[in-house]
Formats: sequence, structure tokens, C-alpha cells
Amino acid sequence: MTDNHNSHPQLALLTKQYARDLAETAPSTDLDARIARLVAGGVNSGVPALKVRPRSLHFFAAAAGFAALAIGIGVFIGMKVEHARKIAADLASERDTAWPPADLTMWPTDSVSFKIPAEYSAQGTLVAVDPESKHTSTRYWIDVVVSNDGTFRIEQIVPADAAHKKGGSDGVAPQIQ
Amino acid sequence: MNDDSECMARLATGDADALRDLYQRHGRALLRFSSAMCRSRQAAEDMVHDTFVALMREPITFDPALGTVFGYLCGVLRHRVSRHFRQQKRWVVLDTESETSPANDGEVHSPADEIARNELTAAFRRAMLELPLQHREVIALCDLEELPYTTVAGILDCPVGTVRSRLHRARALLTIRLASLELIDLQGEPSIAHRGLS
Repeated sequence: MTDNHNSHPQLALLTKQYARDLAETAPSTDLDARIARLVAGGVNSGVPALKVRPRSLHFFAAAAGFAALAIGIGVFIGMKVEHARKIAADLASERDTAWPPADLTMWPTDSVSFKIPAEYSAQGTLVAVDPESKHTSTRYWIDVVVSNDGTFRIEQIVPADAAHKKGGSDGVAPQIQ
Repeated sequence: MNDDSECMARLATGDADALRDLYQRHGRALLRFSSAMCRSRQAAEDMVHDTFVALMREPITFDPALGTVFGYLCGVLRHRVSRHFRQQKRWVVLDTESETSPANDGEVHSPADEIARNELTAAFRRAMLELPLQHREVIALCDLEELPYTTVAGILDCPVGTVRSRLHRARALLTIRLASLELIDLQGEPSIAHRGLS
């Protein structure tokens, strides 16, 4: 039996009153009927409950083996992936260190050179002219090299007379280098 | 071997009639405990029913060395109630007023209407239902059912000292709550007496 000496006297009164009212609570006919059905149905009746079946040692051994196998496969795949990644990284670093190679020049090997005749215009700029036309002022040859990467450069500008004396080509003459 | 233990032994062998005997012997007390714990009468009866279903399915889990059959049934019921409130937390109560004070809505089947026949008892019930579950159950077992501390300790699966301290705390909380409702006068005035309870 519990003691009520440490509770408030009015609380004790209220508790007793509530306990008296609660004591008059009786099971409803519905609950009685449900229990009766439960009894009539036997041990296998009632609301299906989640029943935990006892597991055998073989089950746990198989589960542990399967788990170990799964972990092993995971580790193997991880190692393979890591190895492939390392190889790729090595190849990439080798390519990076080997680029550019020591014998690489800044100029591409596949290019075309042109000799373009040009004369000075009235504005003082050098403009291309028809090689067959009769030149009125000093004619120059502009050696232009167009590379296969789309760039071009002017190699040299020489007077036509000097180039002619050296045996240079007359007109636009591509030369594959 | 007492009658309860005999019933449990019969139940363990598959004798379903033993369940009816246990229900007739302890069903009412279990319903009192369940009604003190649950807000609705239907939920309280469901908890009692679930307790006997569990007893029917797993009678072998009872160990006479650990306590009485009634204590065992109270423990099973307590777990059911605890699970019921955990599940209820997943839902939102739209009308808390009608839930906590069913005496005011005129429902015939409401628990407070049936249990608490006057305003004071209904207010006490509402205040008790506002207590945390662990305090509510210790009040229900110690003060309402008047079970010994050792039995309550067995039901709650805790030391007797814990039962005492928890009961002390529960009473204090209930006193404060009832004082806020002006049902208890903390200054010593007999506020209950003139309301008709003495």
C-alpha cells in the first residue's frame, strides 16, 4: 500500500474521489464479446501479431557468410576502380610531363608559303597587285606562310627586282613546306 | 500454486478457457488502469483487449519468480498504452478541446462522462491526462489502484526508489496543475470543501 503523507490533502481527497468513480468502470459488452471471441477462437485467434520466429544457427551462419561475401566483393570492386583510376592518373601525368616534347618547334610543319606581289599605294600602304600588270612603282614580294592551324605570318618583304635577280618566282606561287 | 499461476500454466498448454478466467479476475482492474491512462474509453478497451491477445499468443513469457500475474498483465498493458501514445504522436489532433474535455460535449460514450460524474472529477481527470505518461502511470498505479511500491516497481521495471521519486514528482505536478485550475488552494484555504467534495 502506498502512503499519501507527502501529498497535498486536497489532492488526496480529489484522488480518492476520482478512484471511487473510476472503480465503477466496468467493461463494456463489446469488450466482453471480443474477449469471448478470443477465447472461442483459441490460441491462434486474435489480431495477427508480428511473430519473431526463432532463427537457427545455420541461418545466422549463412547471413554472416553472405555479408562477408558482399563485403569482399565490394572491397574487390573498390580496389579495381582505385587501380584503374591510378593507372589513368599515371598516364595523364606522363602525358602532361611529356608535353611539349623537347623537339617540338613553335611552327607547325604543314604550311604553304605564298609570294604576293605588292606595291605602295598613294596612301603609303603596301597593297597586293596583279602580277601581270605593269608596275608603276617599286614592286615587292611578300612571302606569306599560311599554316594548317589557320595562322599565317609574313616571312619577309623583298623588292621584286632583287628577288627576280635571285631567281624568285613571279606571281603567287605556293610552296609546300 | 495460486489460481493465477495455474491459469497461466493452463494457458501455456493451449487452454483458452484460462484466458476467460484471467479476464474475469483482472479485466476490470486492467480497464481501470487503462481508463486512467487513455483519453478515450474505446482506446482503453482496445488496450485491454490487446493485452489479452498478447497474453494468448505469448503466455510462456510470464515468469512467476518475477512477480504476480496481475503485475505482469499491468506491464503488458503499460507497454501497449505507451505504444498507443507513440503512434498517436504521428497524428495531429485538430480539436484538442473536445479531446481533453469530453465531459463538456455531451457524448454519452465519452470517458469523462461515464467516469467523472461531476465537474471536479472531470477536471481532475483532465489534469491527470495532461501529465507525462510516466507520471500518469505512477499516479494510476500507486494512488488510484493503491498497489504496493514493490509491485509498481515490478510493473514499471525500475527500482522502488525511482517509483517513490517519480510519484513525488507526479503529485507535485498534479497539485500545481489543479491549483492553476483553482481546484486546490496552495495557501491552505479549503477550496474543495465549498465545492462539495469533502
